[in-house]
Parts: sequence; structure tokens; C-alpha cells
Amino acid sequence: MNRRLAQLLISAYPRWWRQRYGLEFEALLVAEPGGLRNLVDVARSAVRERVISPNGPDEPALPFGLVATRPSAFLPVVMSLTALSAVIFHILLYGITRQADEGGVAHIWQIFMMGQLPLLAFFAIKWLPRAPGYSLCVLATQMVAALASVAPVFLLKL
Amino acid sequence: MRSTRRVVTIQSGEEAGRYSDPSLLVLASLANGPKHGHAMIEDIAQMSGTKLGPGTLYGAIARLETQGWIEALPAEDRRQPYQITAKGLRVLRAQLNTLNQFAKAGLRRLASL
Repeated sequence: MNRRLAQLLISAYPRWWRQRYGLEFEALLVAEPGGLRNLVDVARSAVRERVISPNGPDEPALPFGLVATRPSAFLPVVMSLTALSAVIFHILLYGITRQADEGGVAHIWQIFMMGQLPLLAFFAIKWLPRAPGYSLCVLATQMVAALASVAPVFLLKL
Repeated sequence: MRSTRRVVTIQSGEEAGRYSDPSLLVLASLANGPKHGHAMIEDIAQMSGTKLGPGTLYGAIARLETQGWIEALPAEDRRQPYQITAKGLRVLRAQLNTLNQFAKAGLRRLASL
């Protein structure tokens, strides 16, 4: 395998792993063929190391439940879904009609969507360094929930 | 569709008889002397028919080293040889005995079909 490609793949591993095994692993990768099978194998292992032991072998990753049940993890999702519910409620009652910014539903939607931004930032700052794999899953869920709430407002021009 | 293809592959190909627990394969490979990564991959392929990917191999090495079942020897150039520890030998022996009993019981059942 090409040395540059090997170094690029190794950079996907956690820092502690690179410091402990980086040099010898690079020597092995250079000696091995650089086929698709090996590329996938190394990429998959890098993700696995980042999820299972991001901070070192003696400090295993926190359980997913512990990360996902933090208020800063689930509250943004709840806020997005509440905002989405308000939009759906408005559509069911009044149909697809544009509401002024001062309207009650518009205010609720804005408060919930803007109010979750500090929570998102807090979660990312606190948990990404400690449990990157799980935190990215939670952040992705938060993003999907936020997009689900934003989509009808912009698509239906409410 | 995906699972059907997998079953067909396993039934018709050479994959069926392969054993693929990376940790046990690494321990078994080191049982007859220290080896570095490339030598382990070759030895395991010859011993079990399973060609471990480099990422899988080093994932197993990292976990075995953490558990104290293998240890690093002084590096040769950039290659790092490993050897099995006394604790690793005990674990390997116990796991192979369990597998042996399991295999015997399974084969007995197959013979009675």
C-alpha cells in the first residue's frame, strides 16, 4: 500500500492508538496490498477504535445510554418535535396559510428552534471529546429532528 | 436478498469451514513463537484459511495487549514483534479445549443423523 494512503488511514484512528501503534501499523500497511478489502477493513477498524476506546484502552467508552440520556442530548430533539407538532397543529386547524412572524404558532416555533441552539453547542462541547462516536449519533439525530421541523415551514412557505 | 446471497456463499464456497475469531487466531499464531504483524497474517492464513485484514489484526493485538495476553518485544526496524504471555497461553489452552469439546459434541450429533 502507498505510504501516503497508509498515513491517511492511520490518521482516522484515535490519538492514543496512533501514538502506540502508528509506526508499526504503517510498516504493516506498506507491506500489505492496498486493495479495497484492506481499505475497508482499516477504515472500519478506525471507526471501531473511535467508538469503543476513544480515550485509550484503560478508559473504555461511556455506555451509549449514558450519553443519549443527558438532557442536552434529548431536549433538542423534544424541542424540534414540539415545534413540528405546533406546525402540524396549525396546518390541521387553518390549512396551509402563511402566518405573520408575530403569530402565536410562529413564536412557539421560533422559541423552540432557537432555544435548542445553546443546548446543541453545550452537548457538542461537553460530549464530543469524551465519546465522539456516540455523540455524533446523537448530534445526527438532533439534526434530523431539526430538519424535520424546519422542512414544512420552508417547503410550504408558512 | 442480501441474506440469501450470504447463505448461498457459505453453503457453496470454501468460507464454510473457516474459523474467524481474530483474538484466538492471533494467540494461536503466537503459540509457536514471536511474530510481527505481516508474519501473523501469513501464518494465520496458512493455519486457518482466514486472511485477517490489517485493521482487524491490530484491533485484536491492541485488545490482547491490554488484557496482558500478548506483549511487545523490542522493535526490529519499524516492525514490532509480539509474543504470547504465560497468561495468554493459559487462555489459549482453555479456549481451544472448550472449542474441542464443542466440536466433538457437534460432530457426534452430525454422525447420528
